[in-house]
Amino acid sequence: MGALPLAFSVPMVLSALILLPALWYLLRLTPPRPRQIDFPPLRLILDLKPKEETPARTPWWLLLLRLALAALIILAMAGPIWNPLPASQGTQGPLLVILDDSWAAAPQWAQRLTAAQERIAAAARDGRPNAIVAISDGARDVMLSDSSRSMDRLRALKPVPYLPDRLPALQAVQKFIAANKQSEIIWFADGLASGHARAFAESLVQLVNSDHIRVITDERPVLALAGTENNASALEARLVRSQPKGLQTASLTQGQVRAFDLKSNVIGEAAFNFALTNETKARFELPIELRNEIARLEIVNEHSAGAVSLLDSRWKRRRVAIVSGATADLAQPLLSPSYFLNRALAPFAEVREPRAGANDPILASLNDRIAVLFLADVGVVAGAAHDQLARFIEDGGILVRFAGTRLAGSSDDLVPVRLRRGGRILGGALSWDKPKPLAPFDRESPFSGLSVKDEVSVTRQVLAEPEVGLAGKTWAQLADGTPLVTAMRSGKGLIVLFHVTADTTWSNLPLSGLFVDMLRRVVAMSGETTQADGAEANVKEANRVVTLAPTRTLDGFGIMGVPPVTAKPLPVNYEGTANADYPPGFYGPIDGLTAVNTLSVNDHLDAADFDGLQLDMQPLRPAEPIDLRPALVALALALLLIDALASIWLGGGFGRQARRATLAALILFAGAELTDRPEFVSAAQAQTQTQTQNAPPARTSPREIEAALKTRFAYVVTGDRTVDEASRDGLLALSRELARRTALSPGEPNGIDPSRDELVFYPLLYWPIVTSQPQPSAQAITRIANFMKQGGTILFDTRDALLARPGGPPTPEALWLRQLLAGVDVPELEPVPRDHVVTKTYYLLDNFVGRTTIGQTWIEALPPDQGDQSNRAARAGDGVSPLIITSNDLAAAWALDPSGQPRFPLIPGGTRQREMAIRAGINIVMYTLTGNYKADQVHVRDLLERLAH
Amino acid sequence: MVEARLLEADETRPEGRHEMGALDLARRLPSLLVAAKDVAATVMHGVHGRRRAGVGETFWQFRPFVMGESISRIDWRRSARDDRVYVREREWEAAHTIWLWMDLSQSMAYVSNLALQSKLDRALVLGLASADLLVRGGERVGLIGLTRPVAARNIIERLAEALVQETGRPDYVALELPADQPLAPRTQAILISDFLTPAERIRQTIQAMASRGAQGHLVMIADPVEETFPFTGHTEFRDVDSSATLRVGEASLFRADYVNRLAAHRDAIRQVCVSRGWSFTIHRTDRPASEALLGLRMQIESGYSIGSFGGAQ
Repeated sequence: MGALPLAFSVPMVLSALILLPALWYLLRLTPPRPRQIDFPPLRLILDLKPKEETPARTPWWLLLLRLALAALIILAMAGPIWNPLPASQGTQGPLLVILDDSWAAAPQWAQRLTAAQERIAAAARDGRPNAIVAISDGARDVMLSDSSRSMDRLRALKPVPYLPDRLPALQAVQKFIAANKQSEIIWFADGLASGHARAFAESLVQLVNSDHIRVITDERPVLALAGTENNASALEARLVRSQPKGLQTASLTQGQVRAFDLKSNVIGEAAFNFALTNETKARFELPIELRNEIARLEIVNEHSAGAVSLLDSRWKRRRVAIVSGATADLAQPLLSPSYFLNRALAPFAEVREPRAGANDPILASLNDRIAVLFLADVGVVAGAAHDQLARFIEDGGILVRFAGTRLAGSSDDLVPVRLRRGGRILGGALSWDKPKPLAPFDRESPFSGLSVKDEVSVTRQVLAEPEVGLAGKTWAQLADGTPLVTAMRSGKGLIVLFHVTADTTWSNLPLSGLFVDMLRRVVAMSGETTQADGAEANVKEANRVVTLAPTRTLDGFGIMGVPPVTAKPLPVNYEGTANADYPPGFYGPIDGLTAVNTLSVNDHLDAADFDGLQLDMQPLRPAEPIDLRPALVALALALLLIDALASIWLGGGFGRQARRATLAALILFAGAELTDRPEFVSAAQAQTQTQTQNAPPARTSPREIEAALKTRFAYVVTGDRTVDEASRDGLLALSRELARRTALSPGEPNGIDPSRDELVFYPLLYWPIVTSQPQPSAQAITRIANFMKQGGTILFDTRDALLARPGGPPTPEALWLRQLLAGVDVPELEPVPRDHVVTKTYYLLDNFVGRTTIGQTWIEALPPDQGDQSNRAARAGDGVSPLIITSNDLAAAWALDPSGQPRFPLIPGGTRQREMAIRAGINIVMYTLTGNYKADQVHVRDLLERLAH
Repeated sequence: MVEARLLEADETRPEGRHEMGALDLARRLPSLLVAAKDVAATVMHGVHGRRRAGVGETFWQFRPFVMGESISRIDWRRSARDDRVYVREREWEAAHTIWLWMDLSQSMAYVSNLALQSKLDRALVLGLASADLLVRGGERVGLIGLTRPVAARNIIERLAEALVQETGRPDYVALELPADQPLAPRTQAILISDFLTPAERIRQTIQAMASRGAQGHLVMIADPVEETFPFTGHTEFRDVDSSATLRVGEASLFRADYVNRLAAHRDAIRQVCVSRGWSFTIHRTDRPASEALLGLRMQIESGYSIGSFGGAQ
């Protein structure tokens, strides 16, 4: 189509444009509709002959509008496409599509598939067969197929969560090319060098003419997480990327890493910025408790397995052990040093204490794969324990010792400084010195930053011999400069000595929060000791458990799911990265998960390098082909709407109907517009998806929230449509009357099912008895009983006043109600006495009439009359009666239809009866809401009199 | 430009506004007592003093006891004053029965922007107001085919409720004319409608109703548009009761013909009424309703000789 990037998928349709002149002629002859007028006396003149019948011609602008409309529809039918795909290269051989399906292709997978489908469709239009090779298929034979089968195949393809090697697939390609010489190859490369990209490309060039090879890569760099470290202050995630080509915008170099726990709750986010390098770090500066919870890191909006890093217990909190030198401490365990240590360590470390009576507690602890060992006042460690301990420290373990009388008496060589025998006592009977406070921490000290509390004071300590380098080993000191905490590196590990006891006999340091913070710092310094320690124990475990079954694995998009059938059990101590046999994910039992990641700490992502191969490199998507059909159809619809409006206007103004029709058309049009936009819809879907992912499971229905926010009444849905409508309309009318006459403005009534819905929101429940309704379940009856116990009132309406005879057999409705109430704790009932407070709560009433007037209304019996209350106008019990039973069909008397007319005739009838029914309803509502308040009101006169005296 | 439209279905139902309008209108006129033309023994009891001894509640006269009468009729208090025995007689009171009928058909639900209210509204207000007037004048009023004639204070509410019940029935069909059934002698009928049915049909109905000597009054409600025909241009007229349409190129040319036809139609109806001694009034909805009510009252009063008995109140 010349310079315009416009093409038609069905150009033949355009020939219909020549019909436009004929259409123009036809339209010109058809006049607009005449004005339409309703005219009742038309019968008088129906037989008259019309005198003049000259149809007006269609106005020229309307004609033009309609012609444009027709032209637009023809254009839309021709399937115009903006930015069409380039035509094929003129080869007639089959098309071979090679797809890199590693995780690196996952972020752009949809675009890759679309592009591949477009190419296949284009080839199919030229009558060329095609074939698809997915790299992960390896050496499987390549078969020619038609386009529809290939489309299905493409749709079924998913990226794999590892980086497959391309050389096995090359054999299949070679075999295919040997069979089909004239093939054209399109390779959708993932852009990574790993998997022999260069060698693969070179082989392809040798196979066919390089004119017939096109390599389609994405310009975006591939991002991945490679290794995570849980450091002392933060969890650091290492990010790598392939060398980007072209411009680097902020959206490509910056981003967010999100951390999740095992239940996929978001724990934190950290930003990263590659700037110009290909490697960067994202730091999660979180408390260690939170960091320990992190099980998964993800690069936001980078949906691939490489952008997910899994963390298992190797990244978790450290295990520490406490060994106390004293055994007699057990007499008062709450004063023992190990108790203080345990309490201080428990918040952030997993504390192990060797069982009392163990042969050698130090050895037992060391075999427990600990990171830090606390020795509280252990004087000398000797023998095998000493050797083990020394090796533990050499391998990176931390030994923390606390002084005490035993250590002061004699010590071994596992102390950072030489100690003076005996120590010193401050503030004692024989000392002039006062107890010493702590000095602020040095900046070099690991404790720097912690604020020193004045209340900490030390009365006794062991003293270090003054020697060269003592200041360098000192982490904390007293106000007079004597060291309180000293430390020494030994091999990869540390020896730390607190010159006081871990209990309160020498100082009150263990009582302060500072103690906890100091221990926290010390423990956080323990590095990767867990792997190195206790080699024998590891060997033993490895002999016991050989493999770990895959529990949850990642797919190529980085989504956790059920492991594929091809996944194999993981050997214990598997150190490598994921491959086809071991997809990335969690392995092993749920309480001891082992993580396998796509990339390890040392991995880099190298961009594929095809320099000098003279390949036809194409970006994945130069310009999106835009289908103009929806836009044209929308425009045509708009014109149609304008045309309709114009016709209505010409045909006699905008009547009432016309306005409605216009509105309806507008709504339809807007709806069509929205659904026409895929990005709009998908964005909305994505939003709802994220919401459903993040939102906590909602159990409260919006209706219940509504019911809780506003006072409203409820009726029991019986299943009988007439009765339910009467109940709803009746309660609605009553609610409106209440709003009009009283200070209460209830919301719209709700229909409920007592077995399903929560009843607690409703002060009054209207229950018309319908015998055809099945009896509620035992569970529902329990809820009803609870509702009545909690202060709710149920108004049962048997609606059988006309059938019931006093003294006669009970009506079916009454029997039904009796059966229902058999499971409920029903108080004694009586017909509403004349002085009952319910007859006085708003109006003064004698009886409660509804659709009928003769029925009796029952209510909870009042306590028997007290003598002194005989002259009171109203009596009330303590609470509100939990149930009121009437047979007068109240709701039917209240019910109004939408136009405000009574829905049911009354018996005997009349406006007065309807009014009395409303009044009865208002009184009952006021009674349920205010209880015996009105009964108290009758005291007002007495109270005033008493006040006057 | 003249605008005219049919009412929506929910606008056509008799409602409180009609009751209030009717009450308001009726209060503005003095009580109406229909002259009793012919008092016969068969007339039902009511509240009219008939200036004759008979069954009633108000005292008429004492007369001497005649042998053979029931002793219970003796007024002992009066008889105790002298030697003779007296019987207390009461005035014979009787009421007329007025049958009311209002056209609620589709063609009534029509209002143009020249009118004050729709024909239907006007008919309802007029009918209910006259019912109230008549009842307060001591008559008994009923709806043809719907209610018994009653003389209740809340006659408007009663009639309105009956109409609501009737129109609310699912199988309700609005009739253009009442059923062709004879009314009892010495009753009167008030028919309020637009009377657009053919004159021959109306004649049949009136003939049937009056066959036993009932009197009647026709009030023809018309929208001003229906009289003046102010339409111009290319127009399609639609009938409201049937699906008939009439398309005319220039509506204004039709005006003369239409006016002639309408006049002929009205003349025919008037002829029918005059032949039966019924009255015929035309009322346009751009005039106040009180005008029509006053006219109706004049018709009811003047239709009979007032001289013989006169108003009791």
